[in-house]
Amino acid sequence: MVCYTYDGSFEGLLTAIYEAYYRKEKPVKILQEENLQPSMLYTYIHIATDIEKSQKVYNSIMEKISEDALDNIYHVFLADREYERGTIIYNYLRLGWKIGRNIDLHLSDDRVMKVLKIRQRVEREVHRMMGFVRFSLVGGNIYYAPIEPDNNILPLIAPHFAERLSDQKWIIHDKARELAALYNTRDWLIVEADLGKIPIIDAGEKHYRDLWKEFYNSVAIKERYNLSLHKKLLPVRYWRNLTEKN
Amino acid sequence: MDLIRKLHILADSAKYDVSCVSSGSSRENTPGGIGSTFSGGICHTFTTDGRCISLLKILLSNACTYDCAYCINRISNDIPRATFTPEEIVDLTINFYRRNYIEGLFLSSAVLKNPDYTMELILKTIKLLRIENRFNGYIHIKVIPGADSRLIEEAGMYADRMSVNIELPSNAGLKMLAPQKSKEAILGPMGYIRNKILENRDDIQRAKKPVYFAPAGQSTQLIVGATSDNDINILKLSEALYKQYNLKRVFYSAYVPVSNHPALPKLTKPPLLREHRLYQADWLLRFYGFRANELLTNEHPNLNPILDPKCDWAIRNLHHFPVEINKCSYNMLLRVPGIGVKSAKRIIDARKVSTLDFEDLKKLGVVLKRAQYFITCKGKYYPGIKMNEDFIKGNIVADGLKTLLKTKNISYGDYEQVSIFDLLQGNKSDLGSCVNFNNTISIGVDIWKYVYDSLTSGRESIKKQLKPLLS
Ligand code: SF4
Repeated sequence: MVCYTYDGSFEGLLTAIYEAYYRKEKPVKILQEENLQPSMLYTYIHIATDIEKSQKVYNSIMEKISEDALDNIYHVFLADREYERGTIIYNYLRLGWKIGRNIDLHLSDDRVMKVLKIRQRVEREVHRMMGFVRFSLVGGNIYYAPIEPDNNILPLIAPHFAERLSDQKWIIHDKARELAALYNTRDWLIVEADLGKIPIIDAGEKHYRDLWKEFYNSVAIKERYNLSLHKKLLPVRYWRNLTEKN
Repeated sequence: MDLIRKLHILADSAKYDVSCVSSGSSRENTPGGIGSTFSGGICHTFTTDGRCISLLKILLSNACTYDCAYCINRISNDIPRATFTPEEIVDLTINFYRRNYIEGLFLSSAVLKNPDYTMELILKTIKLLRIENRFNGYIHIKVIPGADSRLIEEAGMYADRMSVNIELPSNAGLKMLAPQKSKEAILGPMGYIRNKILENRDDIQRAKKPVYFAPAGQSTQLIVGATSDNDINILKLSEALYKQYNLKRVFYSAYVPVSNHPALPKLTKPPLLREHRLYQADWLLRFYGFRANELLTNEHPNLNPILDPKCDWAIRNLHHFPVEINKCSYNMLLRVPGIGVKSAKRIIDARKVSTLDFEDLKKLGVVLKRAQYFITCKGKYYPGIKMNEDFIKGNIVADGLKTLLKTKNISYGDYEQVSIFDLLQGNKSDLGSCVNFNNTISIGVDIWKYVYDSLTSGRESIKKQLKPLLS
């Protein structure tokens, strides 16, 4: 059995899907090179990223399936802890090219439901993180926020903050992936960043943090205390980066 | 007084107002401005009691001149008092917003000196935010009953949402517990805001650069359990508020005992389960096409604590069922227990390309455990299901009881503790003796009667199912 591998980029994955159509050896899986757990049952073929080929696949999805389908697979791609995401996307697209624009009506088909479920999960986290990002004002008049999300959602939340906090410089730092979104009051971009040392918090910043914590603690109604509900809504894994929880 | 102390007092006093949503408005940022709103609303964190924190919810002042019995801020209550300046509120809002702590501000207030004086301070605060600080985040303000309509009108140009709290769901309740507030002082401004919003809708269509009036509409809050009002009174009131006053939301707040006024019930816990059932019923009114008098009648004036309102409706209306999943209308799908708005839409979509069976329904997110009694797929019942009343009621009520037994901290008015065991026996006279029974739930007496009645059929099979749990 054949497994294609790609370099972990979206273009790389689309290139692999392109090759799957034109090469003789058809893959049963498409996996990311990094963190690959090789098995003796498979023959691995590495596919080098080719922007032109990936563009062709991109266009073909837009024309022959739908823009929604493209959106779906981009979301699944960002669910980077989903080991099989390349294969899931490949299977979904193959069905899409067969069925066409109605693909997402085929909800009882596992290939479709799987994609929609992962997308829903990613979207839920995007929505959560719009709320859970916590900025601190650090040196150089920059607002800095560390996050550790389950999915690689920086490209999906950056536009929201660029619109909302458009007149302040900010950095959102995905510590788990060592990526950072930077915004300079005009444009944002995502860079690889190991911001090992987190800037120091000064007294002015501490003042607002204390006020926020005071507010947070004051609004809880003790007669309604419900820890399990609390943890369901605010999962513990996010607490580390929430000002009010530290 | 330092700011931290003030914030403590004025957040603490505002917390019993449960609405904290930031939805219904999509204000975009302006060049050089700060903030935007997100039409679906965003929760920024959650309290330890599991409520969403979206807005900086504070009182401008808690130094009230009124004396509403159910309220912690009443003049006769001995608590620390504080008042913010508009500038302090602006500074907090902007700095919290820039750190992404909040979606915006929810400003309410006790009656400081008199309603107009208070309303003017609220107005001053939100004008400072919108004009001087070009703030485009969400602003929800409470209208102080009795304030001049000119002030209300001006405030509507800066606020996203306005609310006038009714608090007590009946006139009699108001008279007894909030003697300085009249029905007119509450409904007057509500009607006024409704008319302004409607007028504004026409203006917006005509104007090139429209000025919005409370674009996220108005909402109100009802306190549940402070008076003897039945659920049917409450739900009918909500229905009328949605229809006649175009309210966006009615919030229900389980009464938290903050006073020992003789006219108030002696609760030890807020009736959270009842509040939860009211929210479920409210949801059915707004999104599922139910009417209040379908869910409750004079014979059944209260929501069933054991079953969610849709299930309760379904077992009282078994003649509508079963429905065939592959044929039945969207509206009827919505009435099937275990099918929500999302899964109903999915069914409609998926039906276009294939005929659905039970396995498919599971994938579409239908809760078969509930739905199984009420549907057929390709003309067939779910395996093992009998279409007979006793069987269905027995199973559904038993499931409801099992869920309740698993939930800790349930209370339904706390007038009386009733054990599940007694509920099944129909043993009213023994109520007093079962307070310490392990599996107790707290239920108001009249509600208890209702549950008892709804158990007359299927009781034997319920008992059988629950036996392992009770021993
Ligand atoms: S007017 Fe409002 S703040 Fe004052 S006592 Fe009544 S409910 Fe409380």
